[in-house]
Amino acid sequence: MRRTVAIATTSLLLAASSTWLMSASAQQPRPGWKQGQPPEMENSPLAPVPQPPAPKAPGEIPVAKIKLPPGFKASLWAHGLSNARAMTWGDKGTLFVSSRVAGNVYAVVDKGSAREVKTIAKGLNLPNGVAFKNGTLYIAEIHRITKMDGIEDKLDSPPAMTVVYETLPKDAPHGWKYLAFGPDGKLYFNIGAPCNICIPPDTHANISRINPDGTGFEYWAHGVRNSVGFDWHPVTKELYFTTHARDWLGEDVPSDRFDHAPRKGLHFGFPYCHQGDIPDPEFGKGRSCSEFAPPLIKTGPHVAGNGVMFYTGSMFPPEYQNRAFLAQRGAWNRTQKTGYKVMMVTLRAGDVPKYEVFAEGFLENNQPWGRPVYTTQMKDGSMLLADDFAGAIYRITYQK
Amino acid sequence: MLRLTALLVALLAASSAAASAADVEAGRRKSAPCATCHGPDGNAVLPGTPSLAGQPTFFTHWQLIKYRDGRRQDPQMSPFAQNLSDADMGDLAAFYAAQSPRARGSLVDPAKVTAGRPLADRHHCTSCHTPALTGQQQVPLLAGQDLAYLLKLLRGFRNGTASDLDGTMTMAARPLTLEEVEALAHYIASLTPR
Repeated sequence: MRRTVAIATTSLLLAASSTWLMSASAQQPRPGWKQGQPPEMENSPLAPVPQPPAPKAPGEIPVAKIKLPPGFKASLWAHGLSNARAMTWGDKGTLFVSSRVAGNVYAVVDKGSAREVKTIAKGLNLPNGVAFKNGTLYIAEIHRITKMDGIEDKLDSPPAMTVVYETLPKDAPHGWKYLAFGPDGKLYFNIGAPCNICIPPDTHANISRINPDGTGFEYWAHGVRNSVGFDWHPVTKELYFTTHARDWLGEDVPSDRFDHAPRKGLHFGFPYCHQGDIPDPEFGKGRSCSEFAPPLIKTGPHVAGNGVMFYTGSMFPPEYQNRAFLAQRGAWNRTQKTGYKVMMVTLRAGDVPKYEVFAEGFLENNQPWGRPVYTTQMKDGSMLLADDFAGAIYRITYQK
Repeated sequence: MLRLTALLVALLAASSAAASAADVEAGRRKSAPCATCHGPDGNAVLPGTPSLAGQPTFFTHWQLIKYRDGRRQDPQMSPFAQNLSDADMGDLAAFYAAQSPRARGSLVDPAKVTAGRPLADRHHCTSCHTPALTGQQQVPLLAGQDLAYLLKLLRGFRNGTASDLDGTMTMAARPLTLEEVEALAHYIASLTPR
């Protein structure tokens, strides 16, 4: 493996970042989503699905079309949260919700029959990551991690955001972050590859962690193109994460991944090897897929797996205990769209995991009306599912 | 450091009127204050002020959101956007999208136009803005836009000071030399929107 440096200093991060930009500038980089497109596909109509500028009104959200297993029911829990993404709970029951291009962070206060949505921060730099601990909300933008102390008592006059960590690359492609506290009390986040396909600087394409005070930066997993969702198994406390694979290699390859990183330092293949067994046509030369950690599950081509959540509640049937729910935001780089579902994974000792559909119905005539992006669990064991396309949150309940 | 500039409180029960189908005629009425600079039909004549006629709805709507939340700032535009609702923005965007764009007729330098033409392909402007640079979705119509405005924006993206929805323009403009910025702007201004 090429990688030998495990601890980055500020200067290393900044130097590597600017070197990448310089070399890229000599090649006139394409927009990230066009990189790696073969010449014969130059006129392909495939392009990322644009984010609507405003959330949908309740009457425009066909929540009844969400198809679930028998006994499960979805309802509209909150709306009007433009581009709603990751969710985290405050100690006092406030749900904090991130966004990406909308630049907002929301607080949702449950008033029983209705939800009150407050925008507590706006104009941020793709603030996809939110995490909460000991009264403090942590927010991850592309270039920095900040916090608001005591936020739950000040929702109507939020405190200033103070910087926790800001020696991060500023690259926009895959620069938005998922943010979560691990069982070790550290803050985990991703630094994605600044491209569709490229040799990234050593500082990119990883999952990293810091102490909540911003000290102790270290890489946890390498060769991770773009993971914007992870969780730790409730029993083993080991890290599991989803990864978006590269585009423009074909309709059916490579598969996106669900991965297991039980220890620090594993390399998951990017950009040399995709889905554990497909060498990259350009960067895979002279490398072997056997050098890298294979995926736990090939989750399917272009499905765009975001949220990962192990279920620990008591509302769903007993077999749902410790299952992982994967929210898949869905394909753009494929003629017939894949993803746009919530999948579930049952881990089985000594056997391959079971991988099956939980929620679907977000596509109509190959066009999405919604995009499932993250899930979280309510105290009563019901599930909340965020839809960044409709700007809404659904509640999924179970009754025998 | 970025500071909170305002706080929006929306009672969900009260916000069901938000953001449903945009209304072109409502947008026409709401555009009255905009007409002074941008023209009654979104075809501006003031140098440095962009034309909005024919811009894709997502583009205009997103720019208004960015002015409202402070990510994009302009001494004249920012105050106008402060009090717009999502529905206002949707209506305005729909109105301008329905207007026919005209070329601004900026005075361009033919040598720079010639030099700029290949740059639009080499720097992949056409990837997102479409081959005729007429825009789509959240990506603006450029063809025939005001030269002074194009220069201001492109220089801003190159310097990393112009507001970018997702970083794509900053990345695209950073490799340009100042001469290339000029050439590209002259080329784009010379085109006819259609």
